Amino acid sequence: MTKFKMQTYQNLIRRSGGVTKENLFSLLGKVQDEFGYVPKEVVRDLASKTGLAEARIYGALTSYGGFKIAPESND
Amino acid sequence: MRRSQMIKMRESKVLTRRVGKYKSLDLEAYKALGGLQSLKRALDIGPESVIEEIKRSGLIGRGGAGFPTGLKWASAAKIQSANGGPKYFICNADEGELGTFKDKVLLDGDPWAVLEGILIAAYTIGAKQTYIYIKGEYEKTAKLWEKLVSKAKKAALLGEKILGSTFSVNLQVIRGRGPYIAGEEFALISSLETRRAMSRLKPPYPTEEGLFGKPTVVNNVETIANVPVILADGAEEYRKLGVEDDPGTRLFSLSGDVKKPGVYELEIGSGTLKELINKLGQGTKNSKPIKAVQPGGGTSALLGRDNLGCKLTSKAIRKAGSSLGTAGVIVYEEGKSAVEIIKGLLQFYGAESCGRCAPCRIGVVRMKEIVDTLSHKEATPDDLVQLREIGKACIAASTCGMGQAFPLPVLSALELFPEDFEAAIQKV
Repeated sequence: MTKFKMQTYQNLIRRSGGVTKENLFSLLGKVQDEFGYVPKEVVRDLASKTGLAEARIYGALTSYGGFKIAPESND
Repeated sequence: MRRSQMIKMRESKVLTRRVGKYKSLDLEAYKALGGLQSLKRALDIGPESVIEEIKRSGLIGRGGAGFPTGLKWASAAKIQSANGGPKYFICNADEGELGTFKDKVLLDGDPWAVLEGILIAAYTIGAKQTYIYIKGEYEKTAKLWEKLVSKAKKAALLGEKILGSTFSVNLQVIRGRGPYIAGEEFALISSLETRRAMSRLKPPYPTEEGLFGKPTVVNNVETIANVPVILADGAEEYRKLGVEDDPGTRLFSLSGDVKKPGVYELEIGSGTLKELINKLGQGTKNSKPIKAVQPGGGTSALLGRDNLGCKLTSKAIRKAGSSLGTAGVIVYEEGKSAVEIIKGLLQFYGAESCGRCAPCRIGVVRMKEIVDTLSHKEATPDDLVQLREIGKACIAASTCGMGQAFPLPVLSALELFPEDFEAAIQKV
């Protein structure tokens, strides 16, 4: 896992061939695997790119045990 | 013992014939073992003939619900997506049912055959975008599939003009993110739409309005692995395996109190529950008599000792009062109370109700509470009545297979082992 950087995220999007509703779930998964959580900057960006409300994306994310919306604390 | 009896219970390696015979990413080795011939044939004979062949084969879905695959494909193939929009094919590899781990054998051991099946399915129904939704816990499997996809792209098996034909298709590998219910057809579709994994009322069926409202076929891994076999040998040859109304083989996941748990591929109807447990599973773990068996995963009704002679066909198991479901055979030996058996099951399902339907959402929690009081010997006879009533309500009023099925082992346990429940009631 790596520390969140907007640049890393943007590279990841580029490698995946952009953002569509069809690959949104897969992208969120890749973000989760890369950073260990889905940062709010990412949700904001994906929401604007797909035309979905941020709340829609959070609603989905928080219903899955396998997604986190904040980094795990180290203590 | 007569020789015929001795060889009676033997594995029939059809779907698993290549497992362990090649390194999972080695496409050339797969080809050398006869791979890709079925895809070539499918591209040759065209979608309609493929559907006819699958229909004639009598293939029934292996994901638990047991729907005829040919019919599903035919229904999706004939529907035109509105405004020429897309259709989708999804391979369901979210193997979440308790006691079921057979799809993993194919995903890891013969992934090219699964891919070949996916390509044939996509070509037949007219889908250009396909997905394989892999259970979250199968992390290594998902990584293997990511590599497989890049390899397939280079070999013209994914992308534009597959094997030089006019057919183009893509495959996305998706890792599940936890919920059990995502293995249910519509919950899986919701998940891919980046929604909560929840079931929906049917109709409309996914073949009519599935992923993003478009015609979608969802097939289990084992189902799809049967497709290249059928096309390679022809439907008539395939039908020689298994029984008349349930042809082919099944991968049985054997677990619980057995000496040799594992995945065994058997011709459908080639033996009995008892033979599977005693011969292939080498008997119960502590050599005690068998108390009960769940023949079709954690949501299938328990069968008692009287039904161990039951043939391993959907029909025979149904007649005995349970279902073959995912063919996850869970064995319980004597010495464990039925209360403890269902407590373990309810612990799992209690955490997994998606919450859509009140009877399941509330019922599973109440049932678990009652079973907890039973296991602490604090229950009253009235609690047993409640347990049964809530279970029946869940079955009657839930939308999806989970709510309709998780009470079945509880109700069957009450039926088969009343003494275990009596013994757990508070003595005043």
